[in-house]
Amino acid sequence: MFPRPIQQRSQAAQWIYSIALPLALILWLFPLLGVAVTSVRPASDLAQGNYFGIPSYLAFENYADVFRNTPMLQYIRNSFIVTIPTVIGAVALSLMTGFALAVYRFKANLLIFFMFVAGNFVPFQILMVPVRDMTLNLGLYNTYAGLALFHIAFQTGFCTLFMRNFIKALPFELIEAARVEGVAEWRIFWFIVLPLMRPAIAALSVLIFTFIWNDFFWATVLTTSPDAQPITAGLSSLNGQWVAAWNLVSAGSILAALPPVAMFFLMQKHFIAGLTLGAVK
Amino acid sequence: MVHKLTGAFALGAALMLSTAAFAQQRVLTFTTDNNDPAPKAAWEQLVADFEAENPDIDVQMNIMDREGYKTAIRNFLTTDPPDVANWYPANRMKPFVDAGLFLDISDVYTENGLDKQLASTMPIVTQDGKQWMIPYTYYQWGIYYNKSVYEQVGATVPTTWDEFIANCEKFKAAGIDCLTTGSSQLWPTAGIFDYLNLRTNGYEFHKALTNGEIPWTDDRVRATFAEWAKVVPYTTANHAAIDWQDAVPLIVQGKAANYVMGNFAVAAFKEGGMTNDTLGFLPFPTINPDVPRAEEAPTDAVFIPAGAKNVPDAKKFMAFVARADVQTKLNEALGQLPVNSGSKVGDDPFLQAGFQLLSTTPGGIAQFFDRDAPAEMAKAGMEGFQQFMIQPDQLDAILTRLEQVRGQVYK
Repeated sequence: MFPRPIQQRSQAAQWIYSIALPLALILWLFPLLGVAVTSVRPASDLAQGNYFGIPSYLAFENYADVFRNTPMLQYIRNSFIVTIPTVIGAVALSLMTGFALAVYRFKANLLIFFMFVAGNFVPFQILMVPVRDMTLNLGLYNTYAGLALFHIAFQTGFCTLFMRNFIKALPFELIEAARVEGVAEWRIFWFIVLPLMRPAIAALSVLIFTFIWNDFFWATVLTTSPDAQPITAGLSSLNGQWVAAWNLVSAGSILAALPPVAMFFLMQKHFIAGLTLGAVK
Repeated sequence: MVHKLTGAFALGAALMLSTAAFAQQRVLTFTTDNNDPAPKAAWEQLVADFEAENPDIDVQMNIMDREGYKTAIRNFLTTDPPDVANWYPANRMKPFVDAGLFLDISDVYTENGLDKQLASTMPIVTQDGKQWMIPYTYYQWGIYYNKSVYEQVGATVPTTWDEFIANCEKFKAAGIDCLTTGSSQLWPTAGIFDYLNLRTNGYEFHKALTNGEIPWTDDRVRATFAEWAKVVPYTTANHAAIDWQDAVPLIVQGKAANYVMGNFAVAAFKEGGMTNDTLGFLPFPTINPDVPRAEEAPTDAVFIPAGAKNVPDAKKFMAFVARADVQTKLNEALGQLPVNSGSKVGDDPFLQAGFQLLSTTPGGIAQFFDRDAPAEMAKAGMEGFQQFMIQPDQLDAILTRLEQVRGQVYK
């Protein structure tokens, strides 16, 4: 069995393990810890130069200020309005493309599949100017739809790769058996393949949700106002004209990080199942 | 402005006004980068006052992040311009006026007699003989100092540069940085340069230099840097690694004595626990007594984009913002100085000092290096200033490079 349980190792190895693990954990969590502590640090501490010490008091009002000073609720709402349709759209589209590419043999199959994969290798920064111009010409600039449509288009490439390989790994006999029974192709997709894809759908949804929620680049390129800006772009509005309010930005960042974290914990079972499914035959 | 709208509707219902009145309301869109809590509240108040005076106009305010605004403005002025927006006068306004993106508002000036009331800023809002912006606030720059450390080392408040440098010896002996700054974002260095140059060579020279009319390798520029070299050894050593607000604790803790900064820093000093008793303000000391005293006072202004949809109401808004009483109220909330000569100033000692300083300036009012000089020149210049503060012996190389940039930028 791999990895070998630590209890079976030598005494020395167990010692090193029990020292190194917390150490690595602290090192790993240190930046997050810094953000968490800064989020309850009063602004006066920062002006006095107390950046890394114990906060003089726990300023939970920072969290209230985040909502008071900026339309944070609106930003959070925007993030959901952009993220949820994107997850649904990208997963739904890629299920269909994945099914087509995995189940049907046709001439350009591999070529089309490679095109989906190749899309992932296009650095999205070079798309900035054309995509901005396109959304502008379509009248989708600074709207939810503009942002969500682009995300769906861009994420479908990766999702198709994921789904196609997943469906490919399913026993093809299931589909053949259904065909022998004369089941229509769309019913095969709906009643045979889709239920088997549930772990993959869950895993991919969590992944895409996190990707889109955390997207900062397109949020700043395609949106300009609190009407449509997601929270990642909205966080910078916590900074003042002169003063960078690190305590407020930290508090806002923690709020912004909550939904993907919650999503992960809620879907953890599916997530791990999705990642390891098909690993052991 | 959702809550504001709801408020208006609730009020409307309470007053039993017909909903038809609201349907007739004309919309005025106003995009601004005043996203700090205090300026934001000040502008929301101004908008509410304007709406109270003009019940038929509904102002929709769109607040953007300050840094993002600098790039976003190019974008929204060409794509979906608001009816009113804010920006900076003088050189920062020039490329937009040249590109035809600003609306000529000379008529607002003549109809309201603003050329007299806003006389001090007329030169910086005028281009091609027309006025393009309404300035609503400015604030002074100068030296903010820790009174306690002055007492501690027995230094007197200097009026000349020689006295200032003499004090630096005392601070150094006590292990205190005579001058502090945080130059990681470059712009604080420009405040130091501007003042040294204004005091050494005067406003006209400074204006000509930032306009690209004088070579950077000129001996008079070298004279400015020679004065700067005197204070470099007494400046906070790691200034390039810290932001301006990271240097504030050094003054608060008494690890540094003087800070060349704008008046907005007062709020940060006070946040750190300083009071009017421990924080002092002194005008930048005299270097060349023959040069008329000039000051630095960056000015903020509003304008109407050329593509504005509701121009008549936008002009009403312009005239409103220019009014003396409106500027008094706005600047009380902003904690800055009103531009209208008929306005009053709050009783804050730093504002009073600033008002005193600016209203008696004989030499001229500079806008700050990154506003007076074109963007590319400003960037190269500030990089040069920062390098000079770290490697003063590289002056020749720095000036040669700036001169090259000048050759490329001003054509």
